[in-house]
This record gives sequence, structure tokens and C-alpha cells, in this order.
Amino acid sequence: MLIPHPLLGPRDAQEFFCLGSASLLDRPDGMSDGAQAAFHDYVYLRDNPAGVHRELWFHEQGDRSWLVVTRNTLTHEILGAELARDVALRAKGGAA
Amino acid sequence: MPDRVHDLSPLPATGGAAPATARHGALTLTENDGLALASLALRRGGAQPAPFGLTLPGPGGWAAQGEISAFWTGPDQWMIEGHRLAGMDFAARVAAEASGASVTEQTDGFAAFEIRSSAGEAPILALLAKLVNIDPANLASGRAARTGLHHMSVFVIRRAPDHLAVAGMRSAAGTLWHVLETAVARLDAAAA
Repeated sequence: MLIPHPLLGPRDAQEFFCLGSASLLDRPDGMSDGAQAAFHDYVYLRDNPAGVHRELWFHEQGDRSWLVVTRNTLTHEILGAELARDVALRAKGGAA
Repeated sequence: MPDRVHDLSPLPATGGAAPATARHGALTLTENDGLALASLALRRGGAQPAPFGLTLPGPGGWAAQGEISAFWTGPDQWMIEGHRLAGMDFAARVAAEASGASVTEQTDGFAAFEIRSSAGEAPILALLAKLVNIDPANLASGRAARTGLHHMSVFVIRRAPDHLAVAGMRSAAGTLWHVLETAVARLDAAAA
């Protein structure tokens, strides 16, 4: 399986470590009201879709960047990859 | 008290009295014990410095100027190489050239091996195909990559079409030497 690294081009999936769902980027605010319930959902209630899924991949034996890889869990087709840093900054309002 | 003064000259990473070297066919493998290394990382939003007047390369790139060269190791991160400068405080020199960035000494963390071909780039391409799972077209002259080699993380640097360098963990210098020497020897045996 090849991961289309946005900076380095196609790289062998063996160089990567897969952490799991990219929803982990949306960490709840621990100081807010209802933080306990929010963290319960964050830690335990993950989606496990059969089909297109967004996952966090770490380029461990490479440039050590985190990627958000869109993968079809049924076919292993890789639909895209972008730097997790870009995804996270975009979610926070685009501040670079 | 010992009754004699011990020999305090530094040993190369492979442990011999002199840097390890081997020649098989067109390929010569040499331990580079003179290579000074310092990592350079930008702080968030920091301006990209040009240490020693060197324009730092983009993703997957390697650039050289005189005794200094640099390769990209990650977003906003580079490794700066000082050739034949291992005996000095290289990180301090790099830090003086890169104000505002984070510079860390790496010389003692790595062992570097240079592989030169006397028959053009063909033997280097054949060796690359045996060593690492990266398209040799992505490792043309002036390119560098961090990847896996025998379960070790290594930097592979293509300094010239006929010149490849591999740098890995210094604590695994003997293993890395074994891997490289075996690959070079087998390539020569297969060609014979």
C-alpha cells in the first residue's frame, strides 16, 4: 500500500504508523461545562465505518509528520492525504 | 592509578583505529568520521534562515555550498552537515548563523557512510534498489530521504549521480556497516 505524502510523493505504508480516526484532532475543551461527558464520547465513542474513513497516520520512518489519510476501509483504496497540521489549523480558523 | 597514559584519540563509530572502508567492484564504501551534524528547526512562524549563505532546500532536497550542506528532514526542519568539521563545536557555529531557530548537536548521534561509484550512476542505482524502498527517481542527485533500512531509520542522501551517503544511528554503526558492506559485496558478486 502506498501513501501519497503531500510533500514527498508516494511512500510505502510500512514507513507509517496508523493511530486511528482523525476525529482525535477535535479534542474537547477540558475546562468547559460537561467536559467529562465530552471526553467520554471523545475517548470511547469512536466511529468505525465500513467505507470511507479519515485516519491519522504518522510518517515514523520518514519526515515524522502527521497526515490525515482518507481511506476506504473496505477496499484499502487511498483517496487522499494532507498534513494534519494544515487540517488542524484550518479547523481553528485558518490562522497559520 | 594506571601506570601509563591511555590513548585518548577518538575512535570512529565502527570501533576500529581508522574509519572502516571497503571496495567491491565499482563501489567504494567509506565511513565518514569527519561529518559534523546539527539539526535546525524553525520556531512556529519563524523566518527561514540561510546559514553560511546556504539556501535551505525544500521537501526531500539536499543542497551544498563549500564545506557546508543541508538536507530537509521534515516541515521546517533540516539537518546541517559540516564536512571534515566533526572535531569542532559545530552546533554552536550553526546556531550563530541561524538566530531564532532551534539548533541541536547531532554529530555524536549518527554514523555516516559514503558510497562512491567509479563507473557512473548505474551501480549506485542498482544499490539503491537493493537498500531502500524508494523510487530511485525520487533520489536523484540533490535529493535526500529518511526511510527504513533493516528496521533502522536512516537518512539516504544522493550527493551526486555517482555518490550516495547513508547516515544512521551511531549506536548501530556496526549493524549499518554490515548491511551496507553485504549489499555492496553481493551486488559485485552478482555482476561478476
